[in-house]
Amino acid sequence: MEEERKTPRLDELERGPWPSFVTEIKRAAVKSEAADDLLGLLEKSYEDKVGHWKHGGIVGVKGYGGGVIGRYTDMPEEFPHLREFHTMRLNQPSGWFYTSEALRKICDIWEKHGSGLTNFHGSTGDVILLGTTTSELQPTFDEFSDAGFDLGGSGSDLRSPSCCVGPGRCEFACYDTLDMCFDLTNEYQDELHRPMWPYKFKIKMSGCANDCVAAIARADLSVIGTWRDCIRIDQDEVKAYAAGGLDIQTAVCDKCPTRALHFNARSGELSVDGEDCSRCMHCVNVMTKAIRQGREKGATLLIGAKSTIVKSAFLSWVVVPFMKLESPYTEFKELLSRIWDWWDENGKTRERIGELIYRVGMGEFLRAVGLPPVPQMVFRPRANPYVFWPEDEIVKQEQQAAPPESGQE
Amino acid sequence: MDKGPANPEIKEKVLQYLDTVEKAKSKDIAKAIGEEKGAVDLAVKELSMEDKVEYLYITTTFVALKGKVGAPA
Repeated sequence: MEEERKTPRLDELERGPWPSFVTEIKRAAVKSEAADDLLGLLEKSYEDKVGHWKHGGIVGVKGYGGGVIGRYTDMPEEFPHLREFHTMRLNQPSGWFYTSEALRKICDIWEKHGSGLTNFHGSTGDVILLGTTTSELQPTFDEFSDAGFDLGGSGSDLRSPSCCVGPGRCEFACYDTLDMCFDLTNEYQDELHRPMWPYKFKIKMSGCANDCVAAIARADLSVIGTWRDCIRIDQDEVKAYAAGGLDIQTAVCDKCPTRALHFNARSGELSVDGEDCSRCMHCVNVMTKAIRQGREKGATLLIGAKSTIVKSAFLSWVVVPFMKLESPYTEFKELLSRIWDWWDENGKTRERIGELIYRVGMGEFLRAVGLPPVPQMVFRPRANPYVFWPEDEIVKQEQQAAPPESGQE
Repeated sequence: MDKGPANPEIKEKVLQYLDTVEKAKSKDIAKAIGEEKGAVDLAVKELSMEDKVEYLYITTTFVALKGKVGAPA
């Protein structure tokens, strides 16, 4: 009988009340030799304090340049079933809505061709299928394709567009994120499957400023729902919230980032300075029945978020304060085309668009893509707009900065 | 978005250029053969479907003749 694998370090990760990826790999290891080897390799990595993976090389199936991430262990003799342990990415449906039948189908195909291990979902949004061999890549893709699935993006291509659940479940959606995500995914099949750019490009769509897909911190192009007019306040519901014990001044007005809301405790009425409202959603979230978004809805487009690679992590930067977003999204697509052309032409290898803008300046970018500069683009308010130096202070500074006279230290 | 078929002459030039290098980015191929980047992207797409070239990920995505570059050492 084969000796049972000892994994004391990994076992520590099964303690506590939380789900454990170790427990799940152990379950998979009952049926999968690759999953069993994976436990051994992970234990070894914790022991050595070093990852035992190499990645790169092959990235796709026939006709595709993305969707497969080649992975190999640097200890193939000790862990032969991880000699090739490639990751495949499946493009997720808009908003991650699946039927249980679809999920079973994915798992059945993956158990047949791969380790059976999955990750729902990767940070970009795809279904991540962990571990198969080079010879199984094409048959796996063919079977997924026959079942109606497609690979997602990887490498220097358009990553699988992702969106929040939008109008499928959420009353706050200012545009149809699900439809737009589906539309863009189908429109940009070449960009998604055939890497042609300096580096990756992510589009993430959130229906409102709650930003449930965290677009603002991650997407090269964030599409975040908003409204152009003013929030709508139902004073009867405001009074009901107050009567119910909500401290409106503390919980809502004092937390309004632009102090645009004012609560009159005596009359029980709430008012707003519409021009000061930044549409952050805080008041709408707290007083859902009393405060609604405006009627004229669309989205703000922001550019350039990314994690640390060439430069440090960036948050997105507003480039279009408001755009109506309705199928077929012509205005959006025309702008996107100009953005991609400029980045492809001017970006260095591995340079995300935010990094390119950082390098050459926002003005250069705006001129190139034909966007007018507007106040909403201001990156951060100036903290010290006017600095006055009295004459005597200047003389004093000059004396301190002067070089010492000859012979003096 | 249908971009139409690739130019066969550009496809041939892409193959000839890739024969002289280990791997290349599409942008560099376009520069080397003096063609529009979009036309090269289209040629590479068709050549990958014909199994003549493949994409490789080595810190970024490159294009290479099929089988020319092996797994990472």
